Amino acid sequence: MATHSIRTRDKDSLAVFLGWFSVGLGTAQLLAPKAMCKIVGASGDGASRRLMRLMGARELTQGIGILTRPRPTNWLWARVAGDGLDLSLLTLTLAKNRNGRTLLAIANVLGVTAPDVYESLHLSRKTGEPREGMPVRKAVTINRPREEVERAWANAQELRERVLEADATVSFSEAPGNRGTELAVDFIEQPPAGDLGKAVQKLSGKDLATQLADDLRRFKQLLETGEIVRSDATPAGHLLADHLKQRPAQPLEEAIR
Amino acid sequence: MRALCWNGVNKVEVENVPDPKILNDRDAIVQITSTAICGSDLHLLDGYVPTMKKGDVLGHEFMGEVVEVGKGVSNLSVGDRVVVPFPIACGACNACNMELYSLCENSNPNARIAEKMFGHPTAGIFGYSHLTGGFAGGQSEFARVPFADVGPIKIENGFSDEQVLFLSDIFPTGYMGAEMCDIQGGEVIAIWGAGPVGQFAAASARMLGAERVIVIDRFEYRLAIAEQHSGVETLNYEEVDSVPEALKELTGGRGPDACIDAVGMEAHFHGPLYAYDRAKQAARMETDRPYVLREAIMSCRNGGIVSIVGVYGGFVDKFPMGALMNRGLSIRTGQCHVQRYLRPLLERVQNGEIDPSFVVTHRLPLDEAPRGYELFKHKEDDCLKVVLKP
Repeated sequence: MATHSIRTRDKDSLAVFLGWFSVGLGTAQLLAPKAMCKIVGASGDGASRRLMRLMGARELTQGIGILTRPRPTNWLWARVAGDGLDLSLLTLTLAKNRNGRTLLAIANVLGVTAPDVYESLHLSRKTGEPREGMPVRKAVTINRPREEVERAWANAQELRERVLEADATVSFSEAPGNRGTELAVDFIEQPPAGDLGKAVQKLSGKDLATQLADDLRRFKQLLETGEIVRSDATPAGHLLADHLKQRPAQPLEEAIR
Repeated sequence: MRALCWNGVNKVEVENVPDPKILNDRDAIVQITSTAICGSDLHLLDGYVPTMKKGDVLGHEFMGEVVEVGKGVSNLSVGDRVVVPFPIACGACNACNMELYSLCENSNPNARIAEKMFGHPTAGIFGYSHLTGGFAGGQSEFARVPFADVGPIKIENGFSDEQVLFLSDIFPTGYMGAEMCDIQGGEVIAIWGAGPVGQFAAASARMLGAERVIVIDRFEYRLAIAEQHSGVETLNYEEVDSVPEALKELTGGRGPDACIDAVGMEAHFHGPLYAYDRAKQAARMETDRPYVLREAIMSCRNGGIVSIVGVYGGFVDKFPMGALMNRGLSIRTGQCHVQRYLRPLLERVQNGEIDPSFVVTHRLPLDEAPRGYELFKHKEDDCLKVVLKP
């Protein structure tokens, strides 16, 4: 038996989470240094605001590094070093102000240092070339014979062009148990700017995986039922980009055909 | 046309909306003669089902006369009298092939939302949030019925609307709840909830040959209807100290062979756990109050079956997984695959085995639908089932 390599990547969800955590914290420190000073019990005067901004810039850079690199081992260690720096600055603040908020901030930094160290060690153990992209497969089972599905695919020009453009490969196989045909589209997901770019694409509904999922669903609908199913809320049929601006489930004024 | 619209939590109003039109070749338009308010509509009313939009037309239990058919529908003609099943199903995908119609792979245009929520998408349902497709419902004068060549069943004998209307949902739902209990004869079945679905589950359990059926509720009038029409035993949970203990004592210490949850996500009960669940649900830390489910699991005999037809939407807390696993219980559940049951259950009505109209307590014109919701929700005036006439 083969070991599958679908959706394998070096970065796990903890690394991605820590990356977004850095981006969030860093942005807050950069944009609202006074409020952040108050939260950690620092004075909030000019010097400490400047220091807070500087730490924010550091935090943001680490976050972007983690999110954009395929195997961000060094960026994770940079987070650990940053935790050390934060802890020493907070200790100095505590010595000066003796504020309960500072104590709480120290506890919070300690709380995030543990996963930082854990993930840094985890990534450090990985060897070999980092995996740049992630192999992704979008697949659908169509309850029709394989020849028919292949013929329909040959005629689905728009869909074939999109797949070609994305450098994806298409394969057909008989589904086990006489359940028709499995259609699989394989491609390497490698958005510009890594997880950061992926998030932007996802939010705009423009990532290939989502678009392909929609396309394959429609392809299946056409083959199995002869039509694209429309509801009152989605008169144009199923499209992710339209989800947020759905109409109420109420008949349309004019029939759109 | 006039239609009942959801306009926010606890706010439904009858409004003028455009008439439905044929959008797909396999559509039909039905002029509705009778439509009912379902217990699951109350979950929508109460705002516990996500993805509702202001203006959504509600209603998934309806019947009427075909007034227009798309060019892909050959088995129905204008003038046919039909009952429409609540799940929309294409009849061609693998799920439909396996008669799992409420899991149709093609009928939900919002499959992606459902997939995000549930892992895999479920079928489209009339008037039941955008998660199930955003289809306008049938508490209205007309409705568009997609895949009209698959779902609707023609009614050709002289039955009254009320005798066949409930084939659209609650009768098959209750029946499936009983069927999932694997009744061979001689079983004791306990049913939580004497609402319309619980009533049909009780009647069906009897039809399928259960020896004893015990229905649990707190409304005496509902228990009385179950006793009268289905010849079952009843238990008022407000008057017993512990339902699982009472059931144990009533069944020689074994517990019921199968337990049916016909209540779902908005269970009511007494005790500190109720306050806990209400608080967590209000804070959106759990979506569903699973009190009945917990009780059903704790009550069921070792190796027995817990059949869930009450509706759940998301996540539950304090779920007795240990009891379920260690005592070898099986859970069976699902939105009803109505299309599978239409013909066999219509036959049972024809044979005089059951007259489903026994659940109807209120008949109102469509314009008074909001009052119908109030009556049903607050169980006023001994309300069990409201039928609306457009």
